[in-house]
Amino acid sequence: MNPAALIPTPDAIPVPWGWFYVLLMLTFLLHLLVMNAMLGGGIIALISTLRGGNENSLLCKEFSYKWPYTIAFAVNMGVAPLLFVQVLYGQFIYSSSILMAVWWFSIFGILILAYYSAYIYDFKFEALGGLRIFMIEFSVLILLLVGFLFTNNMTLMLQPDKWFAFFGNTGGTLLNLSDPTVIPRYLHFVIGSVAVAGLYLALIGHFNFAKSAIKKETLINKGMSYFTIATSIEIVFGFWFLLALPKEIMMVFMGKSAYGTGMLVIGIVLALVALYFSHKRHLISTCICTLLLMIDMIFMRDLVRVAYLKPYFQLSDLTVTSEYSSLMLFLVTFVIGLAMIGYMLKLALGCRKEVTK
Amino acid sequence: MNYPVWDLTTFGGGFIIAFVAVVHVLVSHFAVGGGLFLITLEKKAYKDEDANLLGYVKKHSKFFLLLTMVFGGLTGVGIWWTIALLNPAATSALIHIFVFGWAAEWVFFVGEIVALFIYFYTFGKMDRKNHLIIGWIYFICAWMSLFLINGIIDFMLTPGAWIETQNFWDGFFNPTFWPSLVFRTGLSLVLCGVFGFVTAAFLKNDKLRHKIMVTCAGWVAVPFVLMLAGGWWYLAALPEVQKTIIFEKSPEMGTYLSALGWLMPILFIASMIMALRLPQSFQKGFCFVIVGISLLYFGAFEFTREGGRRPFVLYDQMYANQVYIDDIPKIQEKGYLASSKWINHTEVTDDNLMEVGHDLFVYQCSVCHSVDGPMNNIKPLVANYDSVFGMDAKLNGLGKINNYMPHFFGNRSERWALANYIVNGPDLRDPPHHPRQAVSQSASSH
Repeated sequence: MNPAALIPTPDAIPVPWGWFYVLLMLTFLLHLLVMNAMLGGGIIALISTLRGGNENSLLCKEFSYKWPYTIAFAVNMGVAPLLFVQVLYGQFIYSSSILMAVWWFSIFGILILAYYSAYIYDFKFEALGGLRIFMIEFSVLILLLVGFLFTNNMTLMLQPDKWFAFFGNTGGTLLNLSDPTVIPRYLHFVIGSVAVAGLYLALIGHFNFAKSAIKKETLINKGMSYFTIATSIEIVFGFWFLLALPKEIMMVFMGKSAYGTGMLVIGIVLALVALYFSHKRHLISTCICTLLLMIDMIFMRDLVRVAYLKPYFQLSDLTVTSEYSSLMLFLVTFVIGLAMIGYMLKLALGCRKEVTK
Repeated sequence: MNYPVWDLTTFGGGFIIAFVAVVHVLVSHFAVGGGLFLITLEKKAYKDEDANLLGYVKKHSKFFLLLTMVFGGLTGVGIWWTIALLNPAATSALIHIFVFGWAAEWVFFVGEIVALFIYFYTFGKMDRKNHLIIGWIYFICAWMSLFLINGIIDFMLTPGAWIETQNFWDGFFNPTFWPSLVFRTGLSLVLCGVFGFVTAAFLKNDKLRHKIMVTCAGWVAVPFVLMLAGGWWYLAALPEVQKTIIFEKSPEMGTYLSALGWLMPILFIASMIMALRLPQSFQKGFCFVIVGISLLYFGAFEFTREGGRRPFVLYDQMYANQVYIDDIPKIQEKGYLASSKWINHTEVTDDNLMEVGHDLFVYQCSVCHSVDGPMNNIKPLVANYDSVFGMDAKLNGLGKINNYMPHFFGNRSERWALANYIVNGPDLRDPPHHPRQAVSQSASSH
């Protein structure tokens, strides 16, 4: 049976796909930044709790203040790319989600638990004492599980040939565990999140946003150390991920496509330059390099998606209804929203002292 | 048909969506009105220089943040998650038609979160005037979220001119858009009072508690009028067909309608009781009773509204079981199996009769009927059918006599397979009591 026969007929899009592509890439980058701060920060706080000591304890306390924000924004910033990916690739992601429906459905329920647990960790940090570690373990494990489920779905949606498994299991309990790319892809995201969260903590120190008694230098040093170690491991996992890809997709980055190969080379160079800057403790240069690296990796991730789906679908196949007036609604709203948020942040930065809980 | 169907059996029939949706809508509507409640009380506290009242507002804002942002925000994402799993074809249609409506709603969602965090974490630290401005921005963003989602939800019930024009704005500003907006705005303000009772009931200061209880009772009473007016207008704006389905045709609508009729005055009276001077122990328990009444009331309303769409999920476009009206001629010509992407059979044979019947049940019936589940259990509904011929005739009449259900989509042998599965299959009868009848009999029966 031909896997293409399973792929649902896509719905028409109101404006050419390029609009959605730009919005998808942009909002996914925003999601990735906040999600990394959330997940990686949780992992760093967990490691710090296990390591113990005054400085590590202060680092945990500092992160506890920031954790609820990062969860809220990670979820919020995840909504937009999920919307745009459904617009462009709905026929794939709806199908793969149903194949693993039980797992997929569980995500928002367990996220609620992780979120409340993070709030308890924040509001009751001192009172929890020794129990603190259980709260953070609980939340971090849930976030790691959510990430793992996402990796499963994001890979399953790209492989309609694996969808035949549905005929043997219609209960929604499938996963994509037989795919050799799942584990390296997942670890690539998890380790990367620790690196980005390290920079996030260092930036909190650099811009004096710390609320706890932790010293600015400690935050910067510890954050950059986490970045350096995680990025070094990340390079190894990156190669594992690359080699785990099916040969024809791997070759996109190994000479078959000048664009793909160029993106890989730029990625490696940026990672090495970022490592150099972090070793020298040049925070802002490291951050700029990392941001460019993340943009590069997002485009590479897209190339992987395009290569997987090439036998079945390309974005230019989508029918366009040319309904531009609703796009105007969004663009105007977006500008108003940015202005509104800018204004609110200006007011908030005018009174940096937060309320005592 | 176009998409796979998650075989839920017990939890089929819309149970999961009902479960997620009802709790979400209660909290999400509170999230809309709650902003106005906070700033109104905060302003009054400043005006009267009332430190106790201000302390209450601050406490209430923490409750508000934890309930609406965590639970409300994530169950909102959860509804989207759920509908995409249970009805991907309709979800995809709504996403594609209204993508920029959803995207604009997302912008206001970001604004809401930023505003609420700033409002809560700068309480007492920010200049009073600016703090109130942040509160207003929160309320405007939250109300705009309601405004945008309201258009899309009501499009599902009353698509209006969109059917002809396929124009975004015709679909968005559909015939029930404005009445629904008034109803939901009124309800969101009523819920401020309802949830205000909860935080007020735990205040130790008797005088303050009573004062806030009276205020909250007022927040229930005044917008109640707006809610009733919106509700009446909503009913008046419904096209005759939808009205008939709700008031005359759908079998269990009567239960929801009478629940609505009873719960509305009960909610009002229960809320007014809270304005009396009562022991705190009573108030601590009774405030949750009122939240429960609100949940049932809102649940009954949502069930009624959704029921009004029957047999469609997108009115006049797509049936509840994800079949587009436009696809029916093709299905009748080719058969349902041959038109489906996710069924492993292309035709009915003697050997696959039960399997095909099962697949047809999952794809055409399970969206509204569970098997032994809490929602619309199929078993008692088919218990009296002993004959496959009788069930086959019943399926043939679907959508004609009882027009709250879709037609059976498919050819005669497919219908016969479904009838066989329902009457003789191992899943829907306790115990199975007839030998199965072969596919070839279907021809002789007609």
